[in-house]
Amino acid sequence: MKRFACMQLLASRLQHELVILSLGGSVDEWYNAAPHMRAASLFQQQLGCVTPQAFGLACGLPHRRVVALDTDGGMMFNLGILATLGNERPKNLFIVVWDNECYLSIGGPPTHTASGRVDLAAIARGCGVEQAFTARTLEEFAAHCTAGLAAQSPYLVIAKVEASVEPNIKRKHSDGREDKYLFVRHVEATEGIVIMGPSEHN
Amino acid sequence: MKRSAVDAVIRGLKRAGVSIVCYLPDSLFKELYPALDADPDLRTIRVTNEGEGAAICGGVFLSGKRAVLIMENSGLRAAVEPLARMGLGAGIPVVMLMSYRGEFGENNWWAIPHGITMEPILDALRIPFQVIREEERIERALTEAFSWSYAAYYHAAVALGGEIVR
Repeated sequence: MKRFACMQLLASRLQHELVILSLGGSVDEWYNAAPHMRAASLFQQQLGCVTPQAFGLACGLPHRRVVALDTDGGMMFNLGILATLGNERPKNLFIVVWDNECYLSIGGPPTHTASGRVDLAAIARGCGVEQAFTARTLEEFAAHCTAGLAAQSPYLVIAKVEASVEPNIKRKHSDGREDKYLFVRHVEATEGIVIMGPSEHN
Repeated sequence: MKRSAVDAVIRGLKRAGVSIVCYLPDSLFKELYPALDADPDLRTIRVTNEGEGAAICGGVFLSGKRAVLIMENSGLRAAVEPLARMGLGAGIPVVMLMSYRGEFGENNWWAIPHGITMEPILDALRIPFQVIREEERIERALTEAFSWSYAAYYHAAVALGGEIVR
């Protein structure tokens, strides 16, 4: 299963959602697969922070569906978030973990999921995230997207994808600060709120 | 902590607009955590480590709500990686309230590293902070930390020490 094909499938189902995603090859892939979600997607850079940030966003906007696009390396960096989610039980958080069983962006050394013994979905279920599954085909992934985007408790799908990046796609040029401003202004406009407002004096 | 100090913290957080509190409990603030849990205006989220708490607070910032990360100062060491990335890489701020373990008067050997490392780590990350040892200064320190953090879009910290926590 190719990650880019999964992204195109997921993107076609998104409109009003907010997305937080991980570093690495998935950045440019999502940038190309979901151009209509550009401002609604926060491209973040840190292992272990994608799902916690998405959870924080989901807590602050409980009426809005939030999608975390995490990775095997990122999720294993902070497995504790699964226990936090198991107890906090947000109703508006759909987590996709792109599991290519390696650290692809640095050349592909294996992660612990490559052994076949480490089952992230089983870990999640053991943490109380009952709706946690592994998808190995596009059909399975599509069904989990439908369910995850409508779920009323945290929903997680481990997407087993090939260790490759879609060739000949556009590169995203912005850095973390520009991405944050784009995202915050999108949240402000769509929620009718002020997050980064004016100074007291100009 | 005395009840009056606990009340001062909660008053300061509310005056600063905080509605979500992420914490990993510690002994010096042990009276604070149940009071936060019991407050109907605050949603508390218990986390598994302070780095996770920092990341959750960063996500809350992006929603327009205000969050605070409460912890022992040792938690700062666990939170350095997400703080550096979010703060220096993206300008996503986290306001922290921490107990000052390991300052003069400390009588636990295991707490000495916390006192030795807290201020240099805050300095290394260029995080401004105030160490508060008088109860009457707690409320203002918290509101000032939030004011600065939401002007700089960078982290700020308040450490409570001295008689407040002992």
